[in-house]
Amino acid sequence: MRGTYLGELEELVLLSVASLTEEAYAVLVRTEIEEKANRTLNISAIHSCLYRLEDKGFLESYYGGATQKRGGKSKRLFKVTAYGYKTLKESQEVKQSFWQSIPQLTTKNEIKGTPGFC
Amino acid sequence: MKLKAPPVFAKRLLKWLIADAIYDDLEGDLQELYQDRVEEVGAFRARVHYYKDVLMSVRNSTLRRKLNFYNPLVMYKNYLKIAMRNLLKYKGYSFINLFGLALGMAACLLILLFVNNELNFDGFHEKKANIYRLDEVQTFGAVSAQKVALSMYPMGPNLLADYPQIINFTRFWGYGSKTLLEFENEQHYVNSVTRVDTSFLQMFDFEIIMGDKETALKGNNNMMISQSVSKRIFGAENPMGKVLRTSDEAMQFTITGVFADVPDESHLQFEALLSIGAWDEERRQNGWGSNYLNTYLQLADNVDIPALEATFDDFLVKFMGEETLDYYELFLQPLNDVHLGSMDITHDYNNHKKFSRGSVNIFMILALFVLLIASINFMNLSTARAATRGKEVGVRKSIGAFRNQITGQFLTESVLLTLIALILGLVLCRMSISPLNNIIDRELSMSLLMEPLNALLIVGVAVSIGLLSGVYPALFMSGFNPVLALKGTGSSGGKSVFRNMLVVFQYAVAIAIIIGTVLATQQLKYMQNLDLGFEKDLVVTLDMYGDTNEKYDLLRSELLNQPNIQGVTATTQRLGNNLHQTSMQYRTDTALVSGSSSFVGIETNYTDFFEMDILEGRGLSEEYEDDRRGRSFVINETLAKEIAPDGGEVVGTAFHFGGADTLGTIVGVVRNFNYNKLSLRVEPLFMTFPPWGWSELDVKLKPGNLQQSIAEIEAVWTELFPQRPFEYKFLDEHIGQMYKSEQQLTKVISILSGLAIIIASLGLFGLASFTVRQRLKEMGIRKVLGATVPQIVMILSKKFTILVFIAFLVAAPVTYWLMNSWMAGYEYQVGIGIGIFLLVGVTSWLIALVTVSAQSLGVARSNPVKTLRID
Repeated sequence: MRGTYLGELEELVLLSVASLTEEAYAVLVRTEIEEKANRTLNISAIHSCLYRLEDKGFLESYYGGATQKRGGKSKRLFKVTAYGYKTLKESQEVKQSFWQSIPQLTTKNEIKGTPGFC
Repeated sequence: MKLKAPPVFAKRLLKWLIADAIYDDLEGDLQELYQDRVEEVGAFRARVHYYKDVLMSVRNSTLRRKLNFYNPLVMYKNYLKIAMRNLLKYKGYSFINLFGLALGMAACLLILLFVNNELNFDGFHEKKANIYRLDEVQTFGAVSAQKVALSMYPMGPNLLADYPQIINFTRFWGYGSKTLLEFENEQHYVNSVTRVDTSFLQMFDFEIIMGDKETALKGNNNMMISQSVSKRIFGAENPMGKVLRTSDEAMQFTITGVFADVPDESHLQFEALLSIGAWDEERRQNGWGSNYLNTYLQLADNVDIPALEATFDDFLVKFMGEETLDYYELFLQPLNDVHLGSMDITHDYNNHKKFSRGSVNIFMILALFVLLIASINFMNLSTARAATRGKEVGVRKSIGAFRNQITGQFLTESVLLTLIALILGLVLCRMSISPLNNIIDRELSMSLLMEPLNALLIVGVAVSIGLLSGVYPALFMSGFNPVLALKGTGSSGGKSVFRNMLVVFQYAVAIAIIIGTVLATQQLKYMQNLDLGFEKDLVVTLDMYGDTNEKYDLLRSELLNQPNIQGVTATTQRLGNNLHQTSMQYRTDTALVSGSSSFVGIETNYTDFFEMDILEGRGLSEEYEDDRRGRSFVINETLAKEIAPDGGEVVGTAFHFGGADTLGTIVGVVRNFNYNKLSLRVEPLFMTFPPWGWSELDVKLKPGNLQQSIAEIEAVWTELFPQRPFEYKFLDEHIGQMYKSEQQLTKVISILSGLAIIIASLGLFGLASFTVRQRLKEMGIRKVLGATVPQIVMILSKKFTILVFIAFLVAAPVTYWLMNSWMAGYEYQVGIGIGIFLLVGVTSWLIALVTVSAQSLGVARSNPVKTLRID
């Protein structure tokens, strides 16, 4: 079924939302990815990704946390749904099963930089 | 910490392009980032980043506002279809609705055409704004001060010489209303031959076909003729250079130009122009004091007219002496005022189809009121009809129509209907324009309506009527609660107060117009049938000329020999217009008094011929030598009162007038007779036998065989004067012509008032039928419970009776006041009776009653079983 697959960026964003547990919103997600994956993304990319994930049912959103700094506008906070967790898990298992069938020939270098989420 | 606001433009762009649902949080995020960046990298770079973020977001299709492709055409198609179905479903109401409005529009359009024609009279002269007619106010003794459209021969040239702001002048001096011209031994009548200055064609823009307008009238014996005269006399030949002769004065004129026939919308009418030079003798150049022509002046731009007029007194004093100011005052009349603003000006001989501005205004107001009644009708019927469409509105609303969609639907429908009505109205216009042209004696044409700008204006007005009259039903309907509307209870309610007010207003206007019309018609009839003081019936008038005067005695005796002719008399002026004034003197016990009076030269049998009442003394008689020498005078009551204010004896008073040297005596006093319009008072008048010839012959016919009598006159005339074609006019027709403007006015307002009541009744009819329909069930129940047919009709008609009664109460006082002030302008008033008001009130009530009863009777007679089963 279309829409149930996770793209690379989508998976990254979904994971960061999951790892942030509380208060996950676009600006924090962006910082998180910047820190953990060393990738600087434009905020609009994060936005469209978050809304797409919500459309696909991996995320749900609610409002909260308006601050002065935001011009009084409230944040759209995201939470991973059960379905989202399930999909993440399946994705990890698929990859894991591939890893297990790969002969241990690869060098350490080749593994570096792609922490299993190709 | 002070927060800096992100760039306004970028923010606006974001708001504009980003989907509303996510805008708030997205913008919040961007702003948060912006604030962080201000601290990290400074305001400038933060702004750059903000711009970049905005642009990236805007570029991102998932975030963008989704465009809505809602196709309204489908709905419009539906609206149209429903509108058509509704029109066809209620054919009767649709017809009433459309036809009423179309009538109103047609009336309004035609009247506007007429008004436009009147306002543009003389509009084709390029210098019209600078051209003025020189008029006089004459105050001669006991004769009331009167404005006259006359001026003196030397005035024009001397004004031009004395005043730098006067650029040009022309005189317009009739040579003969009918002139016999001879070409190669053939005689031709030419109407309104006129003497003018060379400048005439430079000031006025009459179209020249042949000849040069600068020089054509320069020579003393030059003549220009109209195209149709040229065709009449010369056929297809080139008239230039041909010579025409007048048969009586034996003058010769060379044709030096041809002009296009003078258009109907010119107050100056002429078939031939002569150069005034041939008459420019010294005695005329110094002829101060005689008024016999029109003078037109062309002024420089921006001349202060009142200031200029004020200096005319000095001008008169300079040429005519100090005492002249007792008699004369000069004033200027703008060219565009001559046609519509000359009703109070007498001796106005060159004013083609002159009309009163007041009448034009009355027409315009009435036309607008008729249109208003029609529009109100349209609105009332639309509202009433819309009320039956509650279910439709209910369904539309429950499947998601917005309120403004429904408003739009009803507005569109209403505009559509007005446009259909407009087309119908134009057809009605087309059908009625030629009968109307006959009534008002104009040549109106529809082509003016088709000019792009006017057409746009008309359609614009029609659309506005549609919008204005549609707005109430539209708002009313779109406000329905869908649940109630679907249950069928939303359509009635107490909102008919507004509708009732409109009905009252309509009827009030209609009643006012009708009362006004009836009164105006009565006044006119009254004036025409009033005893004028002389017998005008059966009198035929013939113009006399120099050559016919020579055989006057023969003509007279020949005519008297005819079996169908009762009598013959002669005069110097026709009755039924203003009469000329002249100076006169009479001797009282103490002094010789000078004054002025109107004057007419009469044959000795004149007072008998016209059956005038002699109050004192006698009329002129053939038996007295003095009478035939112009030494006996008959005066009217007004002059008698002036000579002897205390009612003393005036017969025997010594009397003489301007033209005669010897003193005569007053021999009789005649009862005042109305030789002029009855709206004017009878001025002092004296009559005597004139020492010069006649200008008119009056012949009294025997009643019964008019055709035969006229044939007898013609036979005598042609035998004696073969060179003069026979022409005649009935005196009562001539007198009737004085009231032409009033007659046209009353005819047109009669039509308009007829339309007003028809349209108002149509509206009432439609409204009544709806009210009746809404109360079908109630009537059914009443019938079951034992109500009789008359009772039910009564119940239904009661409301409308009350409405018409209120309308009457509103209209009557207003009309009374208006008509009272109108009648004040007439010397003889018919008087406003209560009777007319009651008559019109009762009649309009009856019309309303019949209209409503026609509807209610149907209901009252219907079988209650049927009406009660309706749901």
